[in-house]
Amino acid sequence: MHTQEVGKPMDIFIATLPQQIINGLTLGAVYALIALGYSMVYGVLQLLNFAHGDVYMVGAFIGYGVMMAFIPESGPLFAPVIIIILMLLVAMLGCGVLGIVIEQFAYRPLRNSPRIAPLISALGVSFFIQNAIQLTLTAQFRNYETEKLIAPAAGIDLGFARLSATRALVIVTAIVLMIVLQYLIKRTRLGKAMRAVAIDREAAAMMGVNVDRVIIFTFFIGSALAGAAGVLTGIVFTRVWHFMGFAAGLKGFTAAVLGGIGNIPGAMLGGFILGLAETFAVGFISATYKDVVAFVVLIIVLLLRPRGLLGARIPQKV
Amino acid sequence: MSQNKIGVDQWVEQYDQRVNKAKGLQGFIARTSQRLPPWGWLIVLVAVGALLPVITQNNFAIRIAGNIALMGTLALGLNVVVGYAGLLDLGFVAFYGIGAYTYAYLSSDFSGVHLPTWVSLPIIIVISALFGLVLGSPSLRLLGDYLAIVTLGFGQIFVQLMTSLTRVSLPGHERPVDLTGGPNGIINLDKLSLFGFTARTVTDHYLILLVVLAVALLVIYHLNRSRIGRAWRALREDELAAEAMGMPTRRLKLQAFAIGAAVAGFSGALFAGWQGSVFPANFDTTLLISVYAIIVLGGLGSLPGVVVGSIVMVAAPDILRDVTLAGTLFYVGVLVTLIGAIRPRWQTALLIGLVVVFGVIVRLIVGALDAQALAEPQLSNSLITNTVRSWLIIPVNATIIGNYAFGLLILMVLGVSRIKHSVWRLAALVPTLYVLIFVWETRLSQEPSVTRLLFVGVLLIVLMIYRPNGLLGQKRVEIV
Repeated sequence: MHTQEVGKPMDIFIATLPQQIINGLTLGAVYALIALGYSMVYGVLQLLNFAHGDVYMVGAFIGYGVMMAFIPESGPLFAPVIIIILMLLVAMLGCGVLGIVIEQFAYRPLRNSPRIAPLISALGVSFFIQNAIQLTLTAQFRNYETEKLIAPAAGIDLGFARLSATRALVIVTAIVLMIVLQYLIKRTRLGKAMRAVAIDREAAAMMGVNVDRVIIFTFFIGSALAGAAGVLTGIVFTRVWHFMGFAAGLKGFTAAVLGGIGNIPGAMLGGFILGLAETFAVGFISATYKDVVAFVVLIIVLLLRPRGLLGARIPQKV
Repeated sequence: MSQNKIGVDQWVEQYDQRVNKAKGLQGFIARTSQRLPPWGWLIVLVAVGALLPVITQNNFAIRIAGNIALMGTLALGLNVVVGYAGLLDLGFVAFYGIGAYTYAYLSSDFSGVHLPTWVSLPIIIVISALFGLVLGSPSLRLLGDYLAIVTLGFGQIFVQLMTSLTRVSLPGHERPVDLTGGPNGIINLDKLSLFGFTARTVTDHYLILLVVLAVALLVIYHLNRSRIGRAWRALREDELAAEAMGMPTRRLKLQAFAIGAAVAGFSGALFAGWQGSVFPANFDTTLLISVYAIIVLGGLGSLPGVVVGSIVMVAAPDILRDVTLAGTLFYVGVLVTLIGAIRPRWQTALLIGLVVVFGVIVRLIVGALDAQALAEPQLSNSLITNTVRSWLIIPVNATIIGNYAFGLLILMVLGVSRIKHSVWRLAALVPTLYVLIFVWETRLSQEPSVTRLLFVGVLLIVLMIYRPNGLLGQKRVEIV
């Protein structure tokens, strides 16, 4: 909407495009990880887990805590790679457990209630987590000291664009996690059970699938992915605070819907598309309308393909 | 039980008999509430409300009452969308904002337009309703839950746009135009003026809001009893069945959406007029959750519930600002909950006794180990708080230990809720209560605004689990 200088917008566009794509992929990787958790939970329970964004926020804070515990005030640093892996693992484990606790105490008692009850309960959980963090850690911004782990100058110069080491780390970690998830879902017994429950919970139960256990695992895996996303966000964008989960949750859900909710590859695709769209909007239009773009994309996709990009058209069952 | 009405469960049908049999205060209230017709309740409400400025000249109290009326009206609108039609609209607060901003455009120096309120209100209502339709028509094509997220996004975008539309280049203008005033909002709005009467004092505004609440209650009561109200309820219970019966579900949903938006816009306008200014931050998620808490607490779809809910949700935080009063309220609340939740009564007494003994033992042990760790209790002017503080251990670095204790408290509460055996449960409750009191004194009472929001979050979860119909919601029997 801003009138740009009447130069050669096309030239600027082409010159900055590769860098924008890299930035978009980084953001998209984070969104995709959040979207996966949303999508998995929705696939199994048909529940919008509004607290998912806050689990992600908790993950970012756990990563921050681990980082601060291992970075010495002064002196040489011991094995930054191990610290990063430890941050990811602790955050994933912590968030996974948090996800199970949320499921057990806030959603399970409502499994047979009207649809609206678990949604409101989820709002309550989200609100509770945010304010619990604000109470204990205050509303201050915290900054990841990424520069102590990864030298800001590290990276690959691709000629037309620069892929910094932090961004590479985020994209690679996200892709590895997605491959592991894909393997888990397609190749293991647990994954098979998950898919069965997603298709028809009652039938799966009758076939001897332990539905409760599947749901617990789904929450664990989904929340662990959100925790990893939180740490990765911290590493790239450094700033974490108690309210960061709200917007991120919204974006994650948008990405999940974009790709077709309940659909795992769809969530990944949706995440990357949303990340790219948002980065382009920031780069070529204005940073002001960053969040507006996600929303507009969501509306357009839902109008054209109400089931999302990769969602299958399923007739409504009675 | 000679004739069963079709579709009415036996338990529901015997409701009258149970009410007549009920003894004591509960029975009395239930019977009176049935005898007094709904308009009777409305008259009682307005009369009590109108008496308030006569009784007290305290502007603070009247302001709170005005807030209750305003939030009540807003919640009534949400009640139509969520309670009657069963649509989870999470962008509802945006319509409140649209109403407020439209009022700001129609009566302030910002735009140079100065319409009297009675002229601008109908315009605001129409605009809000139109926005409701515009948002509703695409999102209602979507399947159930998508609506929630699209509307949540809409609410977020509204705040975002109001904050950032400060330099927009419009055709016909050389320089970028400020459309919203950004984070600083629009200030110096005109006062509410209805037919030559201009509201100046707090009492004036309060009376207007009270009348508005009463009218809104009346209109929505009749709306609910009408054909469209019945259709909404059918839609809420089973959309597919409603559609099969030939109900125009899409149109019904849009109507609910538009009416809810209109009510919200209307109350937003009154809010703007009362406050004299509008800021984007007025319409954030905190307000959304508060309105939801109101209708959930009172009971989805219940009109008296909305009134009771807004009294509790609006008055409580204002009262909690007073630290002394907050402490008293907290301990009374804990006591009432214990008395209500634990039977038989002697167990309650035993539990409280055990907690006191537990506290004394903890104090003795900590005192023997490290007497330096304890701070002198800060005395306030409340007897209860002072008693508790001299009994409790207050460590020197209370904030940090209080934070850990808060984490511990969450784990303990979750753990206790899992214990089935009553004796163990009682035993586990003793340290839990002690930690609760500790956390209250060290952290929660220090941060009243965060505590209030924490409380709202817990309330939403606990209500959904134990009393999904709220305090005054109609008891429904799900017939499967």
